[in-house]
Amino acid sequence: MIRSIRRNARAICLGALLAAGVPSVIWAAEASPDTATLHKELEQSIKMIDALAARVKELESKLASIPAAALAAPPPVAAAPAPAPADAARLQAVEQQINQIETANASRQGDDTGLPVHGFADVDIGNHNPFHAYEKGASLNNLDLYLTPKLGGKWLSLFELNFEVDFAGNVGVDIERGQLGYQFSDAATVWVGRFHTPYGYVNTALHHGVWLNDSLRRPAFLMFEDQGGVLPAHTVGAWLTGADRGDGGKVLYDVFAGNGQQIIDGLIDMRSGGNDHGKLIYGGRLGYQWTAGPAEGLLVGANAFESRIEDNQIPEDLTEVRVAGAYAVYDTDTWEVLSEAYLFDNVDVYQSEGTHRSNAYFVQAGYRLPSFIPYARYERAHLDQTDQYFAQQMTGFSYYRSAAGFRRDLNPKVAIKFEVANTHYTDRALANPNLFFARLPVTSFNEFLAQLAIRF
Amino acid sequence: MHTKFTAPFATRHAGPSWSMLLPIVGTLMMAAAWGPRAHAGDLYIACSAGVTLSMADMRDVFLGEKQFAGPVKLLPVDNGAAQTDFLEKVMKMDATKYTTAWTKKSFRDGSTPPSVKSGDGEVVEFLKHTPGGCGYLGAPPPAGLTLIGKI
Repeated sequence: MIRSIRRNARAICLGALLAAGVPSVIWAAEASPDTATLHKELEQSIKMIDALAARVKELESKLASIPAAALAAPPPVAAAPAPAPADAARLQAVEQQINQIETANASRQGDDTGLPVHGFADVDIGNHNPFHAYEKGASLNNLDLYLTPKLGGKWLSLFELNFEVDFAGNVGVDIERGQLGYQFSDAATVWVGRFHTPYGYVNTALHHGVWLNDSLRRPAFLMFEDQGGVLPAHTVGAWLTGADRGDGGKVLYDVFAGNGQQIIDGLIDMRSGGNDHGKLIYGGRLGYQWTAGPAEGLLVGANAFESRIEDNQIPEDLTEVRVAGAYAVYDTDTWEVLSEAYLFDNVDVYQSEGTHRSNAYFVQAGYRLPSFIPYARYERAHLDQTDQYFAQQMTGFSYYRSAAGFRRDLNPKVAIKFEVANTHYTDRALANPNLFFARLPVTSFNEFLAQLAIRF
Repeated sequence: MHTKFTAPFATRHAGPSWSMLLPIVGTLMMAAAWGPRAHAGDLYIACSAGVTLSMADMRDVFLGEKQFAGPVKLLPVDNGAAQTDFLEKVMKMDATKYTTAWTKKSFRDGSTPPSVKSGDGEVVEFLKHTPGGCGYLGAPPPAGLTLIGKI
């Protein structure tokens, strides 16, 4: 009988707690004289609930307003009936544990809990390899890891480690970026090490993370040195960069200097260990980005650099490479429009064949629909083949390419992309380095490409 | 001698009694009464002592675009208990877009995204002990912290 009464009392108390505020007089009015005992127990239970609620409320307010040190010895609750000694001791123990956990978690900033590793990877399939066009079928492109170890204070570090398949099908590992930096302010950060040369937009926005790119690949002339690019995409040296924020926009700038590159066996090498003539690459970039107003998302800028780049031919060629460029980007929730243009005014230092002028440009437009992103791109390069800087590069030929495709994000970390493209080489046939630089009788070809790209 | 007890909220025979529904009814009443109010709670943006920022700066601070307040390096932290509200009201974006923005930012310039604290208590402790710390709370910040604004 008593057990039954207590069972019903508990049910009522629980209901009263959840209803939270339903006046207990309602229950009292409905009770019969036989329920006097029940009513008494109910009153006691409600008092206990009130006392516990007051205690919880007080603990919550203390956590938010009282220093942790003071929480170790809480004052007694005067307004509410004190809970049983055992409960009070237990509450105090829990309270101390919470304080210790919160203090420990609050003081932890991530630098003592291991180093997060993030990265990108992609697999491609098509009637050509999108990065080495003389090969066909399925291809593993790269596994690109990046690390940003915390050094404390204003020190920064960034490492991008890339496992990539080269034109011969071998897997190579590169420290694509290995940068140590110091932040003086938002307007000035100095990096030393190996970094992506700050020209245009694509080279310092996408890096080796294929997933970041809405399109399946970059324009061919802006690829990395070992994938067909004709510009020195990496520099080893020092780089000063920053932004000056104003109303509605910000000015972005970069100034850099490093080892002059070398063309080795047809590919530009960034001379991570230094070069043998001591000449520099140096240059800068200046841009303005609108961050508010009707032009929000628009970025325009210009860049220039100069470098003395030799090759490993006999006799050796040395070219003073002088490049000026401009870029415009419109990047919003719906539109992504990218364009870059470059002018080359190169001087033959060894061979003394005078000045050679070339140019390259591309424009790409994409529209971000809710379910997929269609895009189209046109790219063109007019590269003077009497300029040893281009003549000695495996892929230093002139071409034009039209491409269209779309990207669909299968989830926030997985994207699938498709692209069709038509490419014309205008002064050289396709080069296959696996056939000792043989020029294949191909001057135009169509590509049908698919790519699965992930980030993690 | 035992007095026979007649339970007012229970039937004499076995099976479910309507008193068992009280917790459910109570829950429904509580949800109806307090659910919307909890969702529409205020959000307090606070930084550690001595940090001078405006509410207009907060979006840039939490996207890593503004990393300094004068000479002080800023260290924003997310509050897991209030993050959804914060992203909606201050950042004007959802969690996926916020994460993607930080993926790009971190990959491009080596910045590290804000660490995530579990609730107000951890955020307050972090701000008290970290010069340049900035975070958001579901309750007014205690004395010693700088209130940037309420939204």
